[in-house]
Amino acid sequence: MAAKKRERLDVIRDILNTVRENRQIKPTRLLYASNLSPQMFKEYINELLEKKFIKLEVDGKEKKFFSLAKRGQDFIQEYKVIENFIENFGL
Amino acid sequence: MELSLLILQNKWILELAYALLIASISLIIFSKTDKFFRLSLHHGIKYFRNAFLFYAVAFIARYIFGVFSDLSINYTEVLRVFFEYFLIMAGFFLLYSLVWKKFDSKKDSSMFNGRIMIFHVIALVIAIMDNLWQTYFFMFSSQIIIFLSASFISYKNSRKVKSAKFSKFYFIAMLLGLGAWIMNFLAEFYFNWRHLVLLDVGIINTMFFLLILYGVIKITKNGSKKA
Repeated sequence: MAAKKRERLDVIRDILNTVRENRQIKPTRLLYASNLSPQMFKEYINELLEKKFIKLEVDGKEKKFFSLAKRGQDFIQEYKVIENFIENFGL
Repeated sequence: MELSLLILQNKWILELAYALLIASISLIIFSKTDKFFRLSLHHGIKYFRNAFLFYAVAFIARYIFGVFSDLSINYTEVLRVFFEYFLIMAGFFLLYSLVWKKFDSKKDSSMFNGRIMIFHVIALVIAIMDNLWQTYFFMFSSQIIIFLSASFISYKNSRKVKSAKFSKFYFIAMLLGLGAWIMNFLAEFYFNWRHLVLLDVGIINTMFFLLILYGVIKITKNGSKKA
């Protein structure tokens, strides 16, 4: 049986949880963990950066990695409530 | 007969109290969902909130309309167009919050994208036409169509997600909204604005707003539990 397609908010939650669990994660590792195509991954990451859910940081060796921002932390906590609200009101 | 007389004698106070009540409920719904929107930037939530913001503005205009109705004809004509425009837009936003996924792109603004601009123009045209012909025919007709569509969509949604228990009540709320607009239509064209019919409209409309407020409060309060 085919797995159910993840909804947009589920993908966002999964990405944020992965970033939180790793504290700091390289873009390539996050791409593999997200199970998304590179194109889709780029779109989601841009959106998360735009919404200030995650931060893109560069260390001393010029290596990039993502970390969770305060808004991302808040989103994970409120995710269930938001999902519940959207489902109940059919939004 | 006595009730009808009582309504007639206190018509002005009842009108103002009703307008303030609906405006207050709408503003509570708008503020209660603010956090959800700020965190998710979800378009559906934004359109839903816009609907209640517009309902609030419409009923505040209606309140002012009631207070100043004896002062100047021109002033009240403008307020009437203003009231109708915001009320019609609120209906459009409510319906669009249910169907936005089919039309919006990620970049669309929730207040002034191309489709929403069409709604603004239609709402304004309807409000002006009603004012020119001194009727509410165009507003009532548009809202009956909107709430008929919203009822159908929310019914389908309630069947789709069984775990979302409030979705059935949301469907009932849409039916109440539809009922109120049909009653409004009948009040103008068949009952010559009979006061008892208008009282029924007010009660049904209040139930519509209270039911949605109940859902918003319940889900917000329940946190991660299903409503």
